[in-house]
Amino acid sequence: KCGTHNLRKMICTWDISSEGRQTVNGHTDFCYTNNDLLPPVCFKTKEKRVEIPVPESSSMVTITTNSISGTALATKKFEIHKKDISLVPLTPHILSLTPDFSTSTLNLKWSDNGSIFPYGLDAFWQIQILRKEGMEKVTQALYYSKLTHEDTILSWNWTSDMPLECTSHYVKIRCYINATQFAGPKDWSNWSPMEEVPGKDTDPNGSGVFPQDTVVAVGSDVTICCVHEEGQQILQMTYGRETYPMIHLSSRSSAIRVLNASASDTSGTNVVCMLSEDGMEGTVLFVGYAPDVPQNLSCETSNFLTIKCTWKPGRPSGLYGKRATKYSLFERISGKNVSCEVNEINKDRACGFQVQPDQKVYNFLLGVSNPIGQTQSSLLVNLTQRVHPKAPEKLTVSSNSSTSVHLHWFINGSFADIRLLCQIEVSSGHSGQKMHNVSMAGGKFSTYVALVNTLHPYTKYRFRVRCSAADHFWRWSDWSRIEEHTTLEA
Amino acid sequence: MAAADSPSPGLRRRDLCSRGIRLAGKMRSDVVDLLDTYVEWQGLDASASVAAVEGVPVAAVERWDEQTGTQRLLENLAAYRTFRALLAQMLEEQQEQLGEADTALGRALASVLLQVSAFTYHLEELLQLESRGTPSEEVDVPVPPSQLGLFERKLRGLGVLRELAQWAVRSARDLRQLAKPSPGSSSAPGPDESP
Repeated sequence: KCGTHNLRKMICTWDISSEGRQTVNGHTDFCYTNNDLLPPVCFKTKEKRVEIPVPESSSMVTITTNSISGTALATKKFEIHKKDISLVPLTPHILSLTPDFSTSTLNLKWSDNGSIFPYGLDAFWQIQILRKEGMEKVTQALYYSKLTHEDTILSWNWTSDMPLECTSHYVKIRCYINATQFAGPKDWSNWSPMEEVPGKDTDPNGSGVFPQDTVVAVGSDVTICCVHEEGQQILQMTYGRETYPMIHLSSRSSAIRVLNASASDTSGTNVVCMLSEDGMEGTVLFVGYAPDVPQNLSCETSNFLTIKCTWKPGRPSGLYGKRATKYSLFERISGKNVSCEVNEINKDRACGFQVQPDQKVYNFLLGVSNPIGQTQSSLLVNLTQRVHPKAPEKLTVSSNSSTSVHLHWFINGSFADIRLLCQIEVSSGHSGQKMHNVSMAGGKFSTYVALVNTLHPYTKYRFRVRCSAADHFWRWSDWSRIEEHTTLEA
Repeated sequence: MAAADSPSPGLRRRDLCSRGIRLAGKMRSDVVDLLDTYVEWQGLDASASVAAVEGVPVAAVERWDEQTGTQRLLENLAAYRTFRALLAQMLEEQQEQLGEADTALGRALASVLLQVSAFTYHLEELLQLESRGTPSEEVDVPVPPSQLGLFERKLRGLGVLRELAQWAVRSARDLRQLAKPSPGSSSAPGPDESP
């Protein structure tokens, strides 16, 4: 019987009939030829197996057994056809099995041993994961790769449905080479030796409830296990106020399965493992939402020194403190990034960004993330079109004549690059309320002045003023304080 | 006009003791309220049994009635300095874990911390009256919470508050004992007997 591991060499094995076994104690003469035109290749062997090249079509093999004194006892000729040679790849070996406990993920690395095969063959890998004391099969995956006539290290990840601490996980792999040109039967290799990631239930000091203080999304199915000391019993496991049926994992570990987890309270949901001998272990699970895409992102400046961006956060994440949703503002043109101080409770969010010298256009990317997910929102603004000045201050009114006055006010900010439009509201007892619009060049932390005429002599007026950008109106400032003034007598 | 006579040390001590007793009483009722808030906020079971928390001063004391006045004050002072550090630690952790979400519990904790601080100064004042210097301030705060899981920290907080409530009871008794004319004589029941 002949089989090959690499399509180039084959290993042939044979047996000797039972009576022959008593007399054949010398060596065996083995001759083979893959081509009638060439003389056979012969050699002696003590084994009942040889490794010879795989023939193009068939091989003629002659096996002669000898006694200890070297006399030929029996000779047998065989013709081995290519279609009778089986292809069984060498047993693969796992290079590394690395656990990431924070994500309950196993990373598997192995070599595809491609150098012994021709280029371009398809290879299939079966990966089996087993768990618990009884080595129950958890899953079996099929991984495909193409051989490149070089040894390539393949890598594969698997995320467990339970924390890796809960119990030991085992992995083994085997290989199948899909050599379509090969006429003979093809089969899976043997399974690789098993690799293990030991669980905490094998660690003398491994007691605890796992996962420890983790964050999951609302609606998740979560497996939580309790690892205890040898000889201790779990009396009950509760999730929040509810007791759950237990799943036996090993003599030192049992789990509960929480389906479709609902949002937890502010301080998280307690998972308590009540143990015999007054023992108690626990963990806290935080169940929340991934951040919503920020809505109504808007950015404006009140002084051309800082830009204030605001947005609506959307659905609260239900996560607080160090797990709360975090916001950062990245400006693509300047490349600057600021993290924003926000408060999970109040609905509005705001973030300040320094106005950059000689930069009018800002391409903002608001990044949002929490332990469950992340999202973003972007906004392109021309700052001169997003001016929302502060309310004018220090409004003063001085008489110019019996029918006109001068108003002076100050606006905090640097508006030298734009024109301002200001509205003066003039109201008095008998002529009601009139609005005067004045436009003026913006200044840097300047006081502005305007003349209001066509007033009545010796009349008490109330004045107030507000301003905005003259070109590309965005928003009015708030009104200044009201200033009362009586015009001069005629 | 004659300067007002300063009160005699005995009178001063009784005054400090009675004010201390009132402080301890208020502290105890606030700690009991805080315990309810804490249990609710932390989602704990009010009847949960909590093993003795390492580093938390234990209120129960043997041969309580044989203690001298100074011993009582020194033990009380050491205990409340430790509780002050423990509560400050709990408050900081509360802020880290719950941030702006926690208002009720944070306020209640801060209020009790204030009272514990006030009571600590009060004890120092009493010790000075006994013409004894107050011991130096180093307090070795037990295992920093970061090494404990969150659930263990929640239980630990419960243990701290329960023990603080017991201490408030004991302190009131100690101060009543101190307020008696002849310090050190005693007929009052031990603190671990129910009030």
